[in-house]
Amino acid sequence: MMSLPFLFFACALGAAWLRHRGVAMGFWVVGLVVMLVLFRVHVTEVLNIGL
Amino acid sequence: MTADLSRLLNALALIALDTVLVLAFVDQLWFRDLPCPLCILQRAGFFAAGFGIALNLFFGPKPSHYGIAILGAIAGGIISMRQILLHIVPGTGSYGNAIFGMHLYTWAFIAFALMIVGCAVMLLDDRQFSRAEPISMRLKVLPLTALLMFLVLAVTNVASTVALCGAGFCPDSPKDYMLFETATN
Repeated sequence: MMSLPFLFFACALGAAWLRHRGVAMGFWVVGLVVMLVLFRVHVTEVLNIGL
Repeated sequence: MTADLSRLLNALALIALDTVLVLAFVDQLWFRDLPCPLCILQRAGFFAAGFGIALNLFFGPKPSHYGIAILGAIAGGIISMRQILLHIVPGTGSYGNAIFGMHLYTWAFIAFALMIVGCAVMLLDDRQFSRAEPISMRLKVLPLTALLMFLVLAVTNVASTVALCGAGFCPDSPKDYMLFETATN
């Protein structure tokens, strides 16, 4: 599961290498969204700071 | 700034980013400092940001490519800031080894901030976006090396993360590679 962002970014690079800019951007967007979802899943502790 | 100079600067930036990712692997493999989930996501942030720089090398400099790099760096910076805040209060501990007095997540935040500043500075010069001159041949080796390293590092990170966390989520403080534990049990 945690390897998915790397997988999508690797696919994005592969697509860019093959000159498919649109496909590459698509993989990048999916990779970024997966990365942010995984970040949200791992933000479980309340920060011990008073802002 | 000519498109050639922009390409050269982008290639150097991607090599610097590759170096950061290689150093993260050195820390993981040589010093056995296994990355936590947030550390792994910060590495992913470097790939998200570096992809914009890679697009500049593949297709020539474009404002949208710098935008991609900035968005990726902001996402990575948020993740590293979260980890800094987890340990900012004295007595709340830290994660991993400190290098030159700061932990890797603090260095990561500085690197993401530098990337945003670097992209903003590059965006100030519009001349790189009007491609009047052809791309010179001598600039081909450096971008190719940077891009190849970047792709190899992305694939290596897939393998490393699968070895560390298996198919699921990573433990908060990994002690060993989950895939090898499963294989030996």
